[in-house]
Amino acid sequence: MTAYLQASGVDVSFGGLKALNDCGFTVQQGKITCLVGPNGAGKTTIFNVITGFLRPGAGSVSFKGQTLDGWKPQAIVAAGIARTFQNLRLFVDLTAIDNVLASMPAQTGEEPVAAIFRPFHVASAQRHRRVEALAILNRVGLIERANDFTRNLSYGEQKLLTIARVLATGAELILLDEPASGLSAGALDGVMALLRRLQDDGKTLLVVEHNTRVVQQIADDVLFLHQGHLMAQGTPEAIVNDPALAEIYFGGTI
Amino acid sequence: MDFWFSYIALASIYVLLGLSTNLLVGIAGIFSVSQAAVFGVGAYIVAFFLMNETMSFLPALAIAALCCIALNILVTLPALRVSGDYFVVTSFGIQLLATAVFTNWTDGTGGANGLPGIPPPDLAGKALESSGEVVSLCVAGMGLGCLIFWLVMRAPFGRLLRAIREDELAVAAAGKSVLRAKVSAAALAGAFAGTAGGLYATFLSFIDPSSFDLDSSILLLTMVVVGGARTLAGSILGPFLLLALPQILTLVDIPTTVAAAARQLIYGVLLIAFMLFRPQGLAGEKL
Ligand SMILES: Nc1ncnc2c1ncn2[C@@H]1O[C@H](COP(=O)(O)OP(=O)(O)O)[C@@H](O)[C@H]1O
Ligand SMILES: [Mg+2]
Repeated sequence: MTAYLQASGVDVSFGGLKALNDCGFTVQQGKITCLVGPNGAGKTTIFNVITGFLRPGAGSVSFKGQTLDGWKPQAIVAAGIARTFQNLRLFVDLTAIDNVLASMPAQTGEEPVAAIFRPFHVASAQRHRRVEALAILNRVGLIERANDFTRNLSYGEQKLLTIARVLATGAELILLDEPASGLSAGALDGVMALLRRLQDDGKTLLVVEHNTRVVQQIADDVLFLHQGHLMAQGTPEAIVNDPALAEIYFGGTI
Repeated sequence: MDFWFSYIALASIYVLLGLSTNLLVGIAGIFSVSQAAVFGVGAYIVAFFLMNETMSFLPALAIAALCCIALNILVTLPALRVSGDYFVVTSFGIQLLATAVFTNWTDGTGGANGLPGIPPPDLAGKALESSGEVVSLCVAGMGLGCLIFWLVMRAPFGRLLRAIREDELAVAAAGKSVLRAKVSAAALAGAFAGTAGGLYATFLSFIDPSSFDLDSSILLLTMVVVGGARTLAGSILGPFLLLALPQILTLVDIPTTVAAAARQLIYGVLLIAFMLFRPQGLAGEKL
């Protein structure tokens, strides 16, 4: 049986620094997989490799049995994988709903010819898209803020908007880079509930997460990355209770 | 020709150029200082076809627009490879190259002496002889340009361009092609500049390289900065205000040679003052 998402032997170097060193793991369809590891372990870097933003020096990534090596980010999104950024990268001068709309695939009027020659068709297609976009904002709990400029949203709301944006792409495999960091306890519960609802919708999630409480509550499977290499893979209990891993994680051996 | 007529016709043509520059510089974030070169190519192409009686005005204008689409894509392609600061230098070189061709290719462009005697535009087999008719044509051209700009910017294409201006990486992560959108913006900007060139050649009936040099490119940037980046209102206000300036200067009693220098000076001061104190222009957004 082919794995849903598989990385194998991935190497990435920045100058002399090996950010990823023979990194390999699998992610199972329909599961919430948490990617943990100390700062600088290479978690964001493997996201960059999977989504086509970074070409690895060696190794390969495959999705549903198909290699993604050499694919451009757009092709990877079209294949069904989308990601958020640790530093959000929202379009802060656009409204919340425009951030969602800007991430929806293949829209009429996204090039000038249709925009000029078929304005009514474009406008009516946009009305439908707005309804879909509102539904997505509703899903993440931001419907009230739909028409507010993104720069005026709170940090927690902005984090939810990054999730709305990946949902808008229609991707089935969603990579979230620290969706819960910096959130208040209340907002944290909201995000965890949202991630579970997405799982119920049939999405597969790969989530970078530091908070062990969050990992224990949402993860089906945990990947432990250290110095660019997969140290361990297992259930949340097994990973959290492994004294060797705890030593790396909390002992500061980097 | 009556002052008001020529002012309105010229301002209409410069609104098309303002839209072109706004699309490229303000919206797509491609900092081009060679839009006057593209404008010039449009003007020379239409002049050539009309003077040789090869075809009537509208087909000539269409060919000029198509050529300028291709040309603008070509000159902005470096912008898609090198980063912003480097592109300004590249674009500067393109403008100088164009001026050299306009000035030295005497057989094609009449060289520094220019091309006199360009026939007036014609529509449906009838030459537009009266100034009222020519002005109406220019205003109609501007109206069409504004309509197209408005349609494009309210469509998903406009949103995509705004998103690109903010964060190209995030646009790529949303599965969109940044390259394709930028090429489309360059194409549209080229069509506007080429059309403006064709109108300009037939309206003035005389063109020479001085209308299409670096100073003109910078004037276009000044119009966008003063009017305001990324808005329709800004693209209209800038040209109408800045073109009124030479006329206001004629009211002041100074010799014409000094007036030309004074105009450049004022344009320069305006550009700096707006960038420093009002970067959003009169009716736009921050560049
Ligand atoms: N673009 C880059 N240039 C140089 N070094 C980088 C770059 N991106 C990441 N690194 C380095 O690679 C290592 C892994 O980074 P990253 O994947 O961001 O870690 P994290 O697990 O905290 O997300 C770190 O040491 C980081 O400093
Ligand atoms: Mg990281």
